Amino acid sequence: MKIDMKKFAAWFDDRLALTPIFKYMTKKEVPQHEHSFWYYTGSSILLFLFIQIVTGIMLALYYKPTLEGATDSIGRIMTELPLGWLVRSVHSWSSTFMIALVMIHLLAIWFTKSYRKPREATWMTGMMLLVVSMVFGFTGYLLPWDDLSLSATKVGTNIPMAIPVVGKWVTQFLRGGDDVTGDTLTRFFLFHVCILPLVIFAILVVHILLVQKEGMSVPLKDEIAKKKVPALPFWPNFILREVVIWLVLLGILLTISLMFAPSLELTADLMAPAPEGVKPEWYFLFLFQTLKIFPANMGPVTGEFVAVVLILIAVVAIFFLPFIDNKPEGKKGKIIAYLGVAGVIYAIVFSIWSLL
Amino acid sequence: MRKTRILFFLVMVSLVLAPLAAAAQQTGAPPTVKDKAQIEAAVSAQAAPTQQAKPAPALTRDVNTRLSTAEADPQAKPGAPAAAPPAAKKPAAKKVEIKRTEPIVPAYSGIREKMAVIVFYVWLWFAIAVMIYFLRLWIKEADRVYKAKYYEPEESPRKDNPMAPVLGD
Amino acid sequence: MRIDNAYFTRRKFLNSILGGWLGAVAASFISPIVKFVWPPYKEPDEVKLVFADYSAMQPGEVKNFVWGSKPGLIKRAQDGSFIAWVGVCTHLDCNVTWLPAKKQFFCACHDGWYDENGTNVSGPPPKPLRRLEPSVEGEDLFIRKPGVGAKT
Repeated sequence: MKIDMKKFAAWFDDRLALTPIFKYMTKKEVPQHEHSFWYYTGSSILLFLFIQIVTGIMLALYYKPTLEGATDSIGRIMTELPLGWLVRSVHSWSSTFMIALVMIHLLAIWFTKSYRKPREATWMTGMMLLVVSMVFGFTGYLLPWDDLSLSATKVGTNIPMAIPVVGKWVTQFLRGGDDVTGDTLTRFFLFHVCILPLVIFAILVVHILLVQKEGMSVPLKDEIAKKKVPALPFWPNFILREVVIWLVLLGILLTISLMFAPSLELTADLMAPAPEGVKPEWYFLFLFQTLKIFPANMGPVTGEFVAVVLILIAVVAIFFLPFIDNKPEGKKGKIIAYLGVAGVIYAIVFSIWSLL
Repeated sequence: MRKTRILFFLVMVSLVLAPLAAAAQQTGAPPTVKDKAQIEAAVSAQAAPTQQAKPAPALTRDVNTRLSTAEADPQAKPGAPAAAPPAAKKPAAKKVEIKRTEPIVPAYSGIREKMAVIVFYVWLWFAIAVMIYFLRLWIKEADRVYKAKYYEPEESPRKDNPMAPVLGD
Repeated sequence: MRIDNAYFTRRKFLNSILGGWLGAVAASFISPIVKFVWPPYKEPDEVKLVFADYSAMQPGEVKNFVWGSKPGLIKRAQDGSFIAWVGVCTHLDCNVTWLPAKKQFFCACHDGWYDENGTNVSGPPPKPLRRLEPSVEGEDLFIRKPGVGAKT
């Protein structure tokens, strides 16, 4: 029997009204200019998010979020299940790749000033996605429940304590009590596999819809000069180029995951002294070091409080950057671009410093 | 035409899959498992006759499950001496506290596994290179068609559904 | 093979080669995922018990043992030999229990009954309980799947 695919497709199209989407896909154009390369970072983040989802579901099939079972269940995944160590390795490395690409994506938009009107909301949802990704990393770091992850979580969940009044509540909410216990583990697992995925998808849908609504931005100077930038159709010309990038990234991810599979330390002991070399994931290192350099007391308040408030102000300022940088072509715009360079240098220097 | 396409498809599938399957067979071996040996040692140490008074099956269940699952290792060749020593399977070893004392560090042990990984790398990058080669051809073709304005929206060859992707035929 | 449309043949050729290659690589990525999600946990070929735990059984007495992740049932026959079953109902996989007063195995899920030889006598079970082969070897009591000989 020959199935008439055209009729089949037409049936679906009648019901789901997919035509506008296809029409949009064929009409959508991607500008081609000297900064076009940065357009690929967005879709690459989606690739790694997809890998995270697949490998995360696979790990969750055998992971047990309990005080007694967590480490052993990961040990079982690594030693007993077919290629389990590789699944864990890919999940761990892919998170690193994803966060790195999120940061590159953000910096590219910072320096090309693509957040300018009318794309302020796109920038703000993007910042939310960055924060959610980092919370993903933070909650995921505890789940193996080995020595290092326990200490890092203790430190990380203690930071809100520096804020008067609300801080204690935040810490208790994060920990599910006054201390990091088995309840914290269950809670972090719930955040990592249920709440955060829902949140990231909600924001992601808005982010992508906004990108589609406004179209891809063109460089500032071309916009001012009202120059018509040459463009490529999104389908299939651009998407095929994206596939090339995805393949290369996938190859790098697999190569690194096979070479440097993460190990599993001993089960965390809640009563044991903190092991040496406690450090968070690499993308928290500069914040970790920032907290370290502040003195214990600064006048009437603790140094930690000052550090936390400064970090919060910086995050809020970056969140509202499109409104601060309201004249991107002027002098203020240039200063903000230099501030971005300074921020990158600060983050790199502090990250390296914290490792010394 | 249809037959040739299917033939090409199958040839490519088998070309990629055959060596990859062979490589995966070898790289599939789990990393050094200090853990398993330790569990076995712990269980057999605990299985002293003095502790065999009450072989309550409900209590022994998880230890036995662990061992029987550990035994069903896909990589273990049937009849290979690598199977757990029978002494480790005594049901009398009740609810043994199995404590790891060393971290699990994945590593490739033996020349065989190391070679397998290298083979896999070579194959992985070869497969990617071939795909990129064909993608480049495809991109060139797509760009050519675009520049030639072959598919103007008004004159789409897809009369049935002019909005559908016009890739391929 | 007849080349009827030269312009599209090249394209079809490229598309099929690329599609085949992509499909193959995708399959090679998916196969480990499938293997991971359906782990190859099989039931054991044999289980080794300590004979001392079972040597004191009276004829007609039934005891439990662990058969992989299923319960096993072992019964001493009148002549002193052992009979073993997988203690799982052949109807819908519920665990069965031995009722000494009735001398029958009972599955509570759908009211299935087996007599003391493991034969299904009443209720929905379609087949007798699965038999295993016990064998006393020195101080050990081996329970094996039928057809699996002693390992040398």
